Amino acid sequence: MSSLLLRILYGFSPPLHRQLFKWPFVLAAGKKDLIDLPVLNEEDLEEQFVRGSGPGGQATNKTSNCVVLKHTPTGIVVKCHQTRSVTHNRKLARDILREKLEVEYKGEESELLRRQNESIQRKQVKRRKVNENIEKKRRFKETLNAEDFGFKSQEP
Amino acid sequence: MTSKTMWLLGRLMHRHRGGLKLSSFVRSASCTAEGAVAPPVDSSVTAEQAVRLWAQHFTLHGISEPLLSSQYIIAHVLGRKTLDGVDRRRLKDPLTDTERVSVWKLCTKRLTSMPVQYVIQEWDFRDLTLKMKPPVFIPRPETEELVGLVLEDLRLIRGESYGTDLRCLEVGCGSGAISLSLLHSIPQLRVLALDQSQAAVCLTRENANRLGLQDKLEVQHLDVMGDALLSKCGPVHFLVSNPPYLLTQEMQSLQTEILRFEDHAALDGGLDGLSVIRSILVLASKLLKERGRVYLEVAPCHPPVIRQMIEETMPGLLYLETRCDLTNRPRFCILQRRA
Repeated sequence: MSSLLLRILYGFSPPLHRQLFKWPFVLAAGKKDLIDLPVLNEEDLEEQFVRGSGPGGQATNKTSNCVVLKHTPTGIVVKCHQTRSVTHNRKLARDILREKLEVEYKGEESELLRRQNESIQRKQVKRRKVNENIEKKRRFKETLNAEDFGFKSQEP
Repeated sequence: MTSKTMWLLGRLMHRHRGGLKLSSFVRSASCTAEGAVAPPVDSSVTAEQAVRLWAQHFTLHGISEPLLSSQYIIAHVLGRKTLDGVDRRRLKDPLTDTERVSVWKLCTKRLTSMPVQYVIQEWDFRDLTLKMKPPVFIPRPETEELVGLVLEDLRLIRGESYGTDLRCLEVGCGSGAISLSLLHSIPQLRVLALDQSQAAVCLTRENANRLGLQDKLEVQHLDVMGDALLSKCGPVHFLVSNPPYLLTQEMQSLQTEILRFEDHAALDGGLDGLSVIRSILVLASKLLKERGRVYLEVAPCHPPVIRQMIEETMPGLLYLETRCDLTNRPRFCILQRRA
């Protein structure tokens, strides 16, 4: 299974891997330190604030505060409405974009992809062990039941 | 409600509910002011199903942002700010009786077009979570930008740590969003906040207490347009305000959420939308230290009018700059008291 994943990762051009993983993966894992993320230039960004139609300001009361951020040199677009504060959504959108750019620029050598892959493999190993344990317990229970029946059939 | 109406409702729900299965019929139903009725509920409805059910119901009744409203309310009942923050598995579990009753109660309020922020009685503003209470004005996202602008400008003038001993006046504090946000970012800041609404004064104080900022904030119930003012108030380094700036003629076309639930006095700026702004600028020229600044959120048509007004009638003030909001509308004015 993991070798198949590796083949997917390194056998295809960068665009496909963007669909394989959900962002913000690294933020969720909490281990975002020590990854060299690219610096963002605000001049390279086009930002849109999705509030629906309407005059805005005091004249509008909407809860939607989605931020759409486009990185013009690469064409990568990020959408974020994870929080109830537009300021935070703007910050998060930039963080997510930096992660996507790291993968985009580094391709196979992406540190992010490497960590994601490691995490997936760790989870697979863990799940395998859990399944093995369940199987062991099940077999043990079966032998117990079999003994029970054996014993009962000997009663007068 | 007659059994025929309930049958009809059941049929409507069946047509509109998509893949949702309801195994039993009406358990609870309650009427809103206009007769919009909450949908019937099965005792084993999951969070996910409730979100869909209520989103469909809001759509049926023309409630704006039907899916978002449903998501925010149910996330809130489950103890989170957004549905993203709820564990995937939790969404597939049936709601407890308490949760279900709460969801139905809150969503029924939303059926009256009550803003989500009033329904869940809180909302976020930059780094803060503030209590919300009708009819006190709900902070808008644009105003988060105003605070960002103020902080950025102050850092430019006074250095990265905002210098020492900073005093500010906020006019029209509402729920306290601007003042409390500034206080949160600038430890040495002291603020005097005013509002002509007693409800706003109380809510600002309550939010200050909840955030532990009450010692740095004084709130007074005063009307800048009427009350003889502030002889006791010493000079301030800057003044900030998101004053009522809508034109009276704009008031009638506002969303139901605003018209029905928010304080009109917090919105209506008179014929030209500048009635409160004018008073604030007069106050600014008296209370600001030399070269102290005024930061205002205004209507997009206001900046050139304000510039002209102070050039012609308020020689003590200098118009510095207009800044746009995220939708690229002119939204913020920066002025300065001349030396």
